[in-house]
Amino acid sequence: MKNEKPILTCTKFDKHFGATHAVNDVSFSLNRGDIFGLVGENGAGKSTLIKMIGGECIPDSGKMIYKNSEVKWKKSSDALKNKISIVHQEPLLISSLNGADNIFLNKEHTKGVIIDEEEVLKKAKLLLKRYPIYPDLVLDKNVDELLLDEKFIVEILKALSYEPDILILDEPTASLPKKSSERLLSLLEELSKKEKKTFIYISHKLEEAIKVCNRIMVLRNGENVGILEKEDIEENKLIKMMINQDYEHFYPKKSENIGNTILRVENLNTEALKNINIEVKAGEIVGLYGLMGAGMNEIALSIFGIHNDLKGGTISLHGNKMHKVEVSNMIKKGVFLIPPDKHKYGLFDTFTVAGNITLAHIYDIFPELLISKVIENKKAEKQAHKFNIKYGNIGQLIEELSGGNQQKIILARWLFKECEILILVDPTVGIDIGAKREIYNLLRDLTKKNKGILMVSSEINEIVGISDKIYTMRRGRITAELEKEKITQENILKNIL
Amino acid sequence: MNNNKKNSLVVLFKNRELLFGFVLLVIFFSVLSNSFFTTSNITNILLTTSIGGVLALGLTLVMMTGDFDLSFASAVGLINIFILIFLDKGFSLWFVFLFAIIAGIVWAGINGILVVKLGMHAFVATIATWTVCKGIIYWISGGATYYGDYPKSLSIIGRGTIGIIPISSIIFMIITIMIILLANYSKFGRRMYAVGNNSEAAEYVGIDSKKTRMIAFLLEGSLIGFAAIILASKLCSGPASGGDGFQMNVIASAFLGATVFRPGLVNIGGSILGIFLLSVIENGLIMLNVHFYFKYIIQGLIIIAAVAFISLRSKKKNEGPPII
Repeated sequence: MKNEKPILTCTKFDKHFGATHAVNDVSFSLNRGDIFGLVGENGAGKSTLIKMIGGECIPDSGKMIYKNSEVKWKKSSDALKNKISIVHQEPLLISSLNGADNIFLNKEHTKGVIIDEEEVLKKAKLLLKRYPIYPDLVLDKNVDELLLDEKFIVEILKALSYEPDILILDEPTASLPKKSSERLLSLLEELSKKEKKTFIYISHKLEEAIKVCNRIMVLRNGENVGILEKEDIEENKLIKMMINQDYEHFYPKKSENIGNTILRVENLNTEALKNINIEVKAGEIVGLYGLMGAGMNEIALSIFGIHNDLKGGTISLHGNKMHKVEVSNMIKKGVFLIPPDKHKYGLFDTFTVAGNITLAHIYDIFPELLISKVIENKKAEKQAHKFNIKYGNIGQLIEELSGGNQQKIILARWLFKECEILILVDPTVGIDIGAKREIYNLLRDLTKKNKGILMVSSEINEIVGISDKIYTMRRGRITAELEKEKITQENILKNIL
Repeated sequence: MNNNKKNSLVVLFKNRELLFGFVLLVIFFSVLSNSFFTTSNITNILLTTSIGGVLALGLTLVMMTGDFDLSFASAVGLINIFILIFLDKGFSLWFVFLFAIIAGIVWAGINGILVVKLGMHAFVATIATWTVCKGIIYWISGGATYYGDYPKSLSIIGRGTIGIIPISSIIFMIITIMIILLANYSKFGRRMYAVGNNSEAAEYVGIDSKKTRMIAFLLEGSLIGFAAIILASKLCSGPASGGDGFQMNVIASAFLGATVFRPGLVNIGGSILGIFLLSVIENGLIMLNVHFYFKYIIQGLIIIAAVAFISLRSKKKNEGPPII
């Protein structure tokens, strides 16, 4: 493989968007069969770079040599014709057609003028068999009836149907369940080995990228900071290259002073949970970890008062039993929840940035009868500044902000008032590494003020790095309580399977 | 600072197509017809808009929380008939007015139970109650108009004016100011918008979505009662088709109103502008002696244009007219 010429060489790619230097003099080459990882913070230039490779964006300067000849794409169909295709983060499907039709759009088998529906469905099923990422996918159902992860699989199959030589995947596992993610990754490995297909793989999930990629390039501020080859790939090195800071300081120092119990959950029983006993003390970050569906989210939501089907058990704050476990009551007592899936449960997309920040504690922020927009904007700006939230205009709509900033808005919204216990469910999903670090530091600031944190996370490195105490779960039960030196990946994995 | 000033000037003119359209239309009709811009005609226009306007306010409140109501027009007609019946039976004016408002609230409460408590789709539930209401009207009236005795003071609201402004318009303006304060400047109004935008996320910030939606219906109900009072005092009779004329205009106004300020989002100011626009068109066409069938065609075309405008303007695929 070392003797072969690279399939793609990009030399000095450069792109400005107005005043922003999105991609700055980036050069690299891809070998056939590479699974080439591309990592970096939000805004580092990853999306722009792959768009240039895939013909969706034209570089200001730079050369691209593909299969030994120089190429210049004018549009994405140029790249597609030459077997370079991109799988985007958001599925771009035609909702009134079914999966098979979407996959073969513009490439349909026709009987004369009419599309041969049977043939299209047959070919789609063959394709699914050949690339079994999600064998149960229903291909003759309208795609608007599919779940997000299923839509994403259709998007991948669509790209694969072009038989690409280079397939670019942008955050492919962000919307996939664990099993499909694993199947996708092993499919990539298989295709790279057997058919010498080349992949470019963008991901915020460093663990995954490290597992599947044989080379990883790190972008920072639009520049190529370096390419690590398989033997040299290490998470610490990658993080250091991404944010220019040492890994040891990535997770803030753990608590030295842990005080009295703030939250105590005794014998909590619901439909999904059995005899849950949990304690969160002042100054402590407690992590909940287990396989998907093991019950971590249920605990978080039950404590907060969502879906009140408590079959038994008590929740006490500072020693006092809570009689009514309802959301409004818990908020009054200083228990706040940062929900999973911020678009579904956290953000209001017709509200401005200011409106989203002031909503949770609106009755406390505006004690007068009427709301003054001027005062609201001032207060929201102050709060946004405190949390380092980047936005253009406090009156803009929230959808225009990055994922990290959106999540910080949800934190800023709750922390307008002091909390006693902050519960977070997967707070750093899909967020770039800089914003993650800010959130970790924020949590430690809260513990220094003697507050208690309960956090559910699906990233094992994160839960190990941030927690003072970890409860592991399996099938609705707590299986272990790990503290201090007992917090290791091994111990955790032992107790969740 | 400079940036903020420029922004607010742009905001003032952005998304104001409806307003410009309205001004243009007024000029258009005034030029084409001598009797359009006269005091008596203006009074007439203001009279029509006060009833439709109150109903548009109510519908907008319900749409803000993500629901809908198709039954308000028939409810107005039914309550109107009852007002005349009770006045004929000798009940005092204020008592009957109070009854009208309570009746409106009860009516909306029924819709609210079906839609909020039982979880029926608002569109379907209120078509059903609309039909039932129509049936009740015809059962009571047999299709005929109810004429009865009524105190002279009844007609003051409907026909009295202060200068060229009818008293009913003044009532409408007062109600409008109160509803604007509620919807756009009160904490509860904020919660209403939150529920309408994302009722699940609203629960996660401690808002009781069901309670909020129910209150929106009850508020709409009180406005239906007010509208019935103004209608009764205008007609001084109880026709079987009392509310029908308002059905399309009020619904259209709410959608037209969603084209201003933030396309796709219902808002009070836009709905009011919408009702004025449609009333001006209706009135203007009459002044120009246009055959009344054309009125329907033109109004239908305007609604199509407005909703198409919203769809084209919206950047996201999922954004669009408020969810019915």
